[in-house]
Amino acid sequence: MIIELREFTRVEGNGKAEIVVENGEVKDVRLKIVEGPRFFELLTLGRHYYDVPDLEARICAICYLSHSVASVLGIEKAFGVEVSEEIQLLRELGLIGELLESHALHLYLLVAPDVFGYPDAIRMATKHGELVKEGLALKAFGNSIRELIGGREIHGINVKPGGFGRYPTVEELENIERESGALLRLARRAVRLFASLEPYGEKAGHFVATDGYLWGDKLISDEDGSFHYTERIEERSLVYSFAKQSRYKGEPFFVGALPRLLLKAEMLTPTAKRLFEEHREKLATGYVSYNNLAQAIELVYALERAGEIAKKLLDKGIKGENVPVEVKEGEGIGYVEAPRGVLIHHYRIDSGGKIAYSNIITPTALNHAMMEASLFKEARKLYGETDETVLVQRLEETVRAFDPCISCSVHIVKL
Amino acid sequence: MMDKLKLAVFELTDCGGCALNILFLYEKLFDLLEFYEITEFHMATSLSEGSHYDVALVTGTVSSQRDLALLKEARNHSDYLIALGTCATHGSVQASVEGSIREKLKRVYGDEGNPMRALDSKPVVEYVAVDFALPGCPYDKNEVYQVLMDIAKGIEPVKKDYPVCVECKLNEYECVLVKKGLPCLGPITYGGCNAACIRSGLGCIGCRGPLPGEVNPASEYEILKDLGYDDDYILRKFKTFARWEP
Repeated sequence: MIIELREFTRVEGNGKAEIVVENGEVKDVRLKIVEGPRFFELLTLGRHYYDVPDLEARICAICYLSHSVASVLGIEKAFGVEVSEEIQLLRELGLIGELLESHALHLYLLVAPDVFGYPDAIRMATKHGELVKEGLALKAFGNSIRELIGGREIHGINVKPGGFGRYPTVEELENIERESGALLRLARRAVRLFASLEPYGEKAGHFVATDGYLWGDKLISDEDGSFHYTERIEERSLVYSFAKQSRYKGEPFFVGALPRLLLKAEMLTPTAKRLFEEHREKLATGYVSYNNLAQAIELVYALERAGEIAKKLLDKGIKGENVPVEVKEGEGIGYVEAPRGVLIHHYRIDSGGKIAYSNIITPTALNHAMMEASLFKEARKLYGETDETVLVQRLEETVRAFDPCISCSVHIVKL
Repeated sequence: MMDKLKLAVFELTDCGGCALNILFLYEKLFDLLEFYEITEFHMATSLSEGSHYDVALVTGTVSSQRDLALLKEARNHSDYLIALGTCATHGSVQASVEGSIREKLKRVYGDEGNPMRALDSKPVVEYVAVDFALPGCPYDKNEVYQVLMDIAKGIEPVKKDYPVCVECKLNEYECVLVKKGLPCLGPITYGGCNAACIRSGLGCIGCRGPLPGEVNPASEYEILKDLGYDDDYILRKFKTFARWEP
């Protein structure tokens, strides 16, 4: 017998799951990505490098800037371009805006309704209006940073190889410094809320993240040493999904806020680090549902770090100078921490500046096997114990904890 | 008090941005909810209680049999259907990937079959009649707000009829095409984004699709040729969001 779950709600994109039951026992769970294929790597082949980050941004609206930055980093690596500290700080600021916007969306609008027993945040607002408003305030602030650095709330084109189209003004940076401090109180409240929830789902066996907090030159894991994705991560196609599945040394693994905290806690800002220490024991159990708590702690990190960056840039003064980009044949990988985990853009570029090879692996594709394992465990535990409505709801919550971005996951290619 | 209009958001295959942009309306979303009740919007709510919709917003391209079935469902059960965003109105970037679906699946997934019944991505407007088409990748959120408010008040929403250049001039931005020699599709692209890309000092990438009517793509082509861009580059640029063959 196969129990077919309806399409997931309150997640980004279109996906569903089916549970295979034999002799009254759950034998298998299949996570089906039913969103149509979008072929982004094919889209970029033969394209001039300069236009590629703008196109790749369209992979995902929630984390478009992560895609732009990963794409720009891959291209710059291929050309051997090194940018100034100012450009690096501004890129980081943009990624922080995206982290705030995305985590706030996930925690307040998608997950919180589960916590309080509502079908959505709009209906939840009748009783918990303050909380919804706080979430929207964080989200709006994140979006305003994203618009400032990216050029637009969604799919901006301001992030370019070698720098930016437009640089922020002193006044705009002062606003960021002021507002990030003012919002910190709300983020701390979110940490208290999500720390109070019981764990569910599967414990992750392996964690993977980039070697810097929001981007890096390589990947790290819970094992020793840094590595390129090609050395330890393998992808394979599935007949029932438009997303490929990835494994770390043959096993499911986890990318996202929880792996970032567990692998890189020493890089956190002071308050975020303190909150991490306070909840370390819980987080270290590795339950994927604690990803929600980890995201709440990252809200604190993001606000603190945004203030630090704005201050640093204001102290030094904005120069607004792009680094010249010289076209030559090359290969490069951009690693970025999208809000929901590691994002990889890998390119080979020919001597004319055109893309000859492109491989993009998104966080949801990396987490796909782990999501299935988590659903399987939860389904096994609950099947026969509760009625189907509760089972389905709990499975949806399990998927939601990964903060999946299904649109992103459907064009995962090895050419 | 009059009954609220039933509003549905249907997402076909896309980046999620056109649905997300509705949530980005913030307080204005709550203003809309004075007139509308959301009965279908799977990114934002677990409720799905509609069988008839006064207004349906459909985002994304038709890229699978699932999308096609959902689109027909939306069309058959709604009075006023809006194709929202460039995927729905023109196909956007994903429809510009060349080759047959079978060939593309083979290159990506290494499989000859098509078990998930994928289709070549096409805009919504190629499959069903729509009552209004609002392009943009993403569309301007204030524009969708205005359109929904107009409908709620019984006014037929206005279609824009000018290129991006008009908004660029109104904002007094420097012309990046003439002054910087950047490839800018502003002169031939449907306005309504408030010249977002030129605000960043960069060229318009044409994400709202070509303005119908009296634009002059041949002249734009000549300008870009004179600036030193080659045929392949220019044609790809023209084709990216709207599969436009000048």
